[in-house]
Amino acid sequence: MSSIGTGYDLSASQFSPDGRVFQVEYAAKAVENSGTVIGLRGKDGVVFAVEKLVTSKLYEPGANKRIFHVDEHVGMAVAGLISDARQIVETARSEASNYRSQYGIPVPLKYLNERVSMYMHAYTLYSAVRPYGCSVVMGTWSEYDGPQMYMLDPSGVSFSYFGCAVGKAKQAAKTEIEKLKLADMSVKDLVKEAARIIYLVHDELKDKQFELELSWVCAASRGRHEAVSRAVAAEAEGLARQALADIEDSDEGDM
Amino acid sequence: MATLLAPEIPCPGFSFENCQRNAFLAQKGFPAPKATKTGTTIVGIIYADGVILGADTRATENTIVSDKNCEKIHYLAGNMYCCGAGTAADTEMTTQTVASQLELQRLHTGRTVPVETAATLLKRMLFRYQGHIGAALVLGGVDRTGPHIYCIYPHGSVDKLPYATMGSGSLAAMAVFESRWKPNMNEEEGKKLVRDAIAAGIFNDLGSGSNVDICVIRNTGPAQYLRTYEEANVKGKKQGSYRYRIGTTAVLKQRVIPLQVESVSVHHVQAMDVDPSTSR
Amino acid sequence: MAASIINSYSDPSSTEWMNAPHSTGTSIMACEFNGGVVIGADSRTTTGVYIANRVTDKLTKITDNIYCCRSGSAADTQAIADIVTYHLNFHKMELGEEPLVQTAASIFRELCYNYRDSLMAGILVAGWDKRLGGQIYSIPIGGMVSRQAVSIGGSGSSYVYGYVDANFKPNMSKEDAVKFVTNTLTLAMLRDGSSGGVVRLGVITEAGVERSVILGDQLPKFYEG
Repeated sequence: MSSIGTGYDLSASQFSPDGRVFQVEYAAKAVENSGTVIGLRGKDGVVFAVEKLVTSKLYEPGANKRIFHVDEHVGMAVAGLISDARQIVETARSEASNYRSQYGIPVPLKYLNERVSMYMHAYTLYSAVRPYGCSVVMGTWSEYDGPQMYMLDPSGVSFSYFGCAVGKAKQAAKTEIEKLKLADMSVKDLVKEAARIIYLVHDELKDKQFELELSWVCAASRGRHEAVSRAVAAEAEGLARQALADIEDSDEGDM
Repeated sequence: MATLLAPEIPCPGFSFENCQRNAFLAQKGFPAPKATKTGTTIVGIIYADGVILGADTRATENTIVSDKNCEKIHYLAGNMYCCGAGTAADTEMTTQTVASQLELQRLHTGRTVPVETAATLLKRMLFRYQGHIGAALVLGGVDRTGPHIYCIYPHGSVDKLPYATMGSGSLAAMAVFESRWKPNMNEEEGKKLVRDAIAAGIFNDLGSGSNVDICVIRNTGPAQYLRTYEEANVKGKKQGSYRYRIGTTAVLKQRVIPLQVESVSVHHVQAMDVDPSTSR
Repeated sequence: MAASIINSYSDPSSTEWMNAPHSTGTSIMACEFNGGVVIGADSRTTTGVYIANRVTDKLTKITDNIYCCRSGSAADTQAIADIVTYHLNFHKMELGEEPLVQTAASIFRELCYNYRDSLMAGILVAGWDKRLGGQIYSIPIGGMVSRQAVSIGGSGSSYVYGYVDANFKPNMSKEDAVKFVTNTLTLAMLRDGSSGGVVRLGVITEAGVERSVILGDQLPKFYEG
């Protein structure tokens, strides 16, 4: 970044002479330090998988979760600063709740995404605040609209995706996701793929400990967002470890 | 007891001491006075080339005619006028307020304001005041979509009709319209019908009277306000004269008393200035 | 005789009809059929004993495929319908698709419930959406909302509950539903003094709305003895 240190990176309310808002770019950097998060949209639902880095052995298993329920039918996986992300989750929850009480129906994800994006974008406009240091992936499935998934950036930009990845190893994860025929796959298969990808892109040298978080919202869960059942998750995780071991074996074989 | 040193301090806040008295009076058959509503006949019709509005000119305070020739057709904009029945002050203020908003809207958009806009502004204002603004209106006008007549009630409901009547004389006027209104009347027929409807109110409703005012708003060209289109109640001619010719009364006796006139006049004489301090 | 006229003039209660809030003593109805809903209403608006409007349209458009039938105070129901129309069209732009009938009913309910102490409004929300097809939601005074396959409202409805219960069938054809609504409203108008005039109808389907009027002399004939 050529303009670093020239004073244009101190506030989100000022452009640099070459037309950039550095605070927003730094926020994106904060997201890149986080564990990898992927979202996969198949034919019958959306699957979230998170590589939750465990920074201390003193944490209980399952602490500091990175997948949240926003409403009965909407899940959110977050990457970046967890405290920032929790605030986004709260915003999304109250938007969803308000919508439900006002209109008597579950909030359409398209609308929720627009509201949360607007909220995040507002934090890129003023000198008194800093942008959110997190990216979030939201997903839902409904009988009528089928699966939907959006990813939101700290800049307030959001897009709908078949598959998305964010965090430390997003490049590697995206490469893996691109190999999948997402539109034809069921969530049953996607869970396995998601687990495999997270195990594959995890960097054991830099980050020793991690927990795999898996959730889905699909036809099988009757449109509810829920954690993948222990049995299915264990199976997926077993297959992921096996796949990793196979690769390591073949790598050794090559040598 | 109040003394100079210990005066009686009046209680702060509202005083409700008359409530009990008023309730007692009401119980004895002396209810609190009500705000007066004017009896009126106002009408509006759509005819071939636009709309015609009509109104009587009597203003009443209970049973007393307080104004024999008042104006009940109010200006809203060049292309629309509004007849008002109900509380005179309310109809006047409501139409003035809306006329001002319409003019600002016209300047803002640079277009003739649609009649629907006026109807919406009026109904929003009346609904907001929940019927406390006692204005019953017949709004008429023309715009690019054609001629329109709206009936707007004090509580803020609106009817869009080809012919409408309002006020205490509305039943009499409506009887005329129901029997004789037809689509696409020409201007002469229209004016005649409106005159007859107002006249029906003037002659059959005690709250309406005096003259007929008419306002013709054509699709083409400016509105024509016909103030005192007709004096429906021309004062009748006395059949006989009650002036007596000089000499009608016979002179029985004559006596002349000569008056002695003594003229005395008093002159005011200004005193001469003798103050030494002012002399030079 | 003359005295009585003068008395009635000075007596403010004789002009009661002029000051009385404008009410739609009404017969309204909505009925699901196999391709949508039929809505209907009489056309009488009364102030006290005077018919202020004999050709009222109580079927008010909210969006292209959602209508409401209004009963109660004309001022209140018109104001509510205006607000909901604005709100729902704004929502339509936000969503980029036609709003659901349930959404419309929810907004009506929100207003009718929050202002239940100052409103007099009994509303039937009816329409068609791509999710649930033809639907009817009834929102009586107080602000409750309930979905019904057939619903009647207004003062005239009391007279025809039995007729509706006896004659309604689920999944009728459009023609049968129109006939059923016309008959019900005609019967209600005949027995209810504050309902009358013409029968206004609307058929809401996927294609939109089809409006029609049945004039007083073309209404079906029933026992008049």
